[in-house]
Amino acid sequence: MPEAQKLEARRLHLRRAGRPVLCGVDVAVAPGRLLAVCGPNGAGKSSLLAALAGDLRPETGAALIDGAPVAALGARALARLRAVLEQAPGLSAAFTVETLVRLGADAVPESPVEPARLVAEALDAVGMSAFAARRADRLSGGERARAHLARVLAQLRAGEAAGGGRYLLLDEPTASLDLAHQVTVMRAARSAADGGAGVLCVLHDLNLAAAFADDVALLDEGRVVAAGAPEQVLTAPALTALYRAPIAVERHPGGALRIAPDLAPRRRSAA
Amino acid sequence: MTAAADPSTLAHAAPNRGAGLLGLLGLSVALLAVAGLALGPVTLSPAAVLAALAGQGEPMAEAIVLHIRAPRVLLGLGVGAGLALAGMALQGVLRNPLADPGLIGVSAGAALGAVGVIVLGGWFMGGVPAPLRPWIMPAAAFGGASLVTAFVFGLARRGGAVSVPTLILAGVAVNAIAGAGVGAMIYVSDDQQLRDLTFWSMGSLGAAAWAPATLAAVCIAAAGVGLARMARALDLFQLGERAAFHAGLDVERAKRRVALGAALAVGAGTAVAGPIGFVGLVAPHLARLVVGPAHRLALPAAALLGAGLLLAADLGVRLAVPPAEPPIGLATSLIGGPFFLWLLLARMERGDA
Amino acid sequence: MLSRRALILAAGAALAAPAPVRADGPRRIVVLGGDLVEIVFALGAGDRVVGTDDTGRHPAAAAALPKVGYLRRFGPEGVLSLAPDLVLANPAAGPETALDQLRAAGLPVALAPGGEGWPSVPPKIAFVGDLLGLAPEAARLSARLDAEMARLATRIADVPDPPSVLFLISLGRGAPMASGGGTAADAMIALAGARNAVTGFDGFKPLSAEALTGLAPDALLLPDHAAEAVGGGQAALALVGLAGTPAGRAGRVVVMDALKLLGFGPRTPEAVRELAMALHADMADRL
Repeated sequence: MPEAQKLEARRLHLRRAGRPVLCGVDVAVAPGRLLAVCGPNGAGKSSLLAALAGDLRPETGAALIDGAPVAALGARALARLRAVLEQAPGLSAAFTVETLVRLGADAVPESPVEPARLVAEALDAVGMSAFAARRADRLSGGERARAHLARVLAQLRAGEAAGGGRYLLLDEPTASLDLAHQVTVMRAARSAADGGAGVLCVLHDLNLAAAFADDVALLDEGRVVAAGAPEQVLTAPALTALYRAPIAVERHPGGALRIAPDLAPRRRSAA
Repeated sequence: MTAAADPSTLAHAAPNRGAGLLGLLGLSVALLAVAGLALGPVTLSPAAVLAALAGQGEPMAEAIVLHIRAPRVLLGLGVGAGLALAGMALQGVLRNPLADPGLIGVSAGAALGAVGVIVLGGWFMGGVPAPLRPWIMPAAAFGGASLVTAFVFGLARRGGAVSVPTLILAGVAVNAIAGAGVGAMIYVSDDQQLRDLTFWSMGSLGAAAWAPATLAAVCIAAAGVGLARMARALDLFQLGERAAFHAGLDVERAKRRVALGAALAVGAGTAVAGPIGFVGLVAPHLARLVVGPAHRLALPAAALLGAGLLLAADLGVRLAVPPAEPPIGLATSLIGGPFFLWLLLARMERGDA
Repeated sequence: MLSRRALILAAGAALAAPAPVRADGPRRIVVLGGDLVEIVFALGAGDRVVGTDDTGRHPAAAAALPKVGYLRRFGPEGVLSLAPDLVLANPAAGPETALDQLRAAGLPVALAPGGEGWPSVPPKIAFVGDLLGLAPEAARLSARLDAEMARLATRIADVPDPPSVLFLISLGRGAPMASGGGTAADAMIALAGARNAVTGFDGFKPLSAEALTGLAPDALLLPDHAAEAVGGGQAALALVGLAGTPAGRAGRVVVMDALKLLGFGPRTPEAVRELAMALHADMADRL
């Protein structure tokens, strides 16, 4: 049933602390695609990711993974099917980077691949091989973010080797990273998608979304206001309406979109 | 802190080195156990101890070695390992290295259960079948410890990781509530029960005879086996409960199992030996220093260190002022209290307390 | 019979090197219980005691002996390390496992009769006398103490109006522990020709200042350690809020050695006399 091969929110309603945060959201990410979820602060992006990851139960509607309700699967089964990188992941113990990444590799015990190999490959994918023996709780912000991404990638690969590993959910993986590291992280996400995983990535940076995503969904006040290919969705009028501030979209000679707040009008009105 | 040459940022122990360290710790505990059999206020020659162990010694030497010292060593091993495992497991789930069964009130909960049996036991013991009676006090202590553990884990559920101030405040509150319960028991106790309570509450391995020591050791071994299998779960808890779930951990079930194991280990030990403080704090810390923070090695290391610490402390109180014997709880608190303060100050200086 | 058992023990426990046991009774005794310690010393056998528990604080020679811990939680190996040939124990001594461990080591454990109040004292003296081969001495001691108690009883019977006495075993932190019915203090107050100001309960209970004032005692009785802790009897009187009571107005506070007052033993007649003289100053010359 190839039709069911996707991670999908279907007419999903969700409340947090009594307040509705998602109101009938429909989104889907298929294997091999990278979906960027964008929108202003408080639009419900992280809640959507949490519902699809199985952290939060929808009030009505459903979060489905390959056709099965996420809420009906246990932690073990979900860990085989998808890997999740939280926003600002933490670590309370003085683990080494290797031990940290190993936690991901061990998340799918039925994986036939040697965990040590998964760890090495994942560290390599994020450019952290030289840090394996370092203490993960004493890394810089960028190094820590990449170490956690390596952990999640190791889990994804382990799941893949065990017949799962279909989806990767990333919640603002580029936050607090410098430009070069933002690109490293997004390349890793892109290559996971190219390798056959469905990647859902919550992003604030619309330029990164435009550059790396196959599809973009724009969220506003718990609703999907636009979804589709980046060039169709990321337009100046749509973004200006969404962010309630003037936003300019230019196309570079190379074809890439360049999105930025349009600062000129404000200057003019102040004069 | 980015230079790879800074040794403090490097790994603590390679895996095979870890196994060697565990072996070394095991050997030390074995030596302390032998010392516990060989040394005491009564001076016995090594030959006399060996003969007693072989069942061919003088009757009095046999009585001392086999019926006084041996159950005491068993109880020390069990209580020390149990407190250390419980401390490590609680620290792991709460993501807080200051979570000691004594500080957060688990021991106080167990104490309240045990004190209730000491004072009120006269009323209902008659209705309990004789073979079950020795189990009543450990069961009550387990019940009290379980209640407190459930409460503290409830705090963790609300806020994710439990901050140090929250944990200490919760501990103060729980200890105060349990203290009030003990106070109520004191109010209804007679003069003799009162004195019993006072001495019991200082903790001692002196009540060790084969029956209670075996009972405690069996409960603690069961809890220890359960907790030892939680190494991966405890590692995952260090990522936070949400990430632990993402990595395949049934978080609620793991918490229930840790709570059950910790309460059983603390409850059984407290019922027989009274509340003994700080072993559950000091042993896990030393374990992490020796073999690193990964629980696969740190759990067994903590169990060995806890057992070793308590055996050493017990040897200390037995040999300090013979023929009298200061309560071991005083000895562990004397070492553990300053250690705790040092830890707290060090963390505050680093700004993560 | 006992000495035979002791001989067997001596043969079996050569490494602990107990002193040779003579035919006239045990020579190295560990005594558990302050009342029994006093009796052994009163019988002139103090030189045979090699150790006591923490409650063995009288006479001074007993207080200086090695201590094996508290009566209810003594260490069995500590007892054995004194190489005794007999353990003489109050029935309250424990834990039970420790006594069993002593017996398992081949050490005879003699449990003295229990009981409360003055009537329990002569049987205890007789028991200790038999045990130590000092039966005649024990009989003489009993007779002398009995006669003194009888003499005091007849004098005290003349007291026209027994004063009410409040006994506080500790001054606590804001809630002093008062001694009700069925306590040793209650019995001593009666023997001294007074009545316990506390009639509402048995045993010890912490009481508020208001409740204490309501008892309106004529005199306050304190154990020495409690009075010393707050700087003397008069200070204690003010501290617990008794200033407005008859005891407070008259400043009547009696401070006594706690062991002597409460630990029924050879010093009880002396204690009764001391308490009675303090409470009935007008008839002190006839006591």
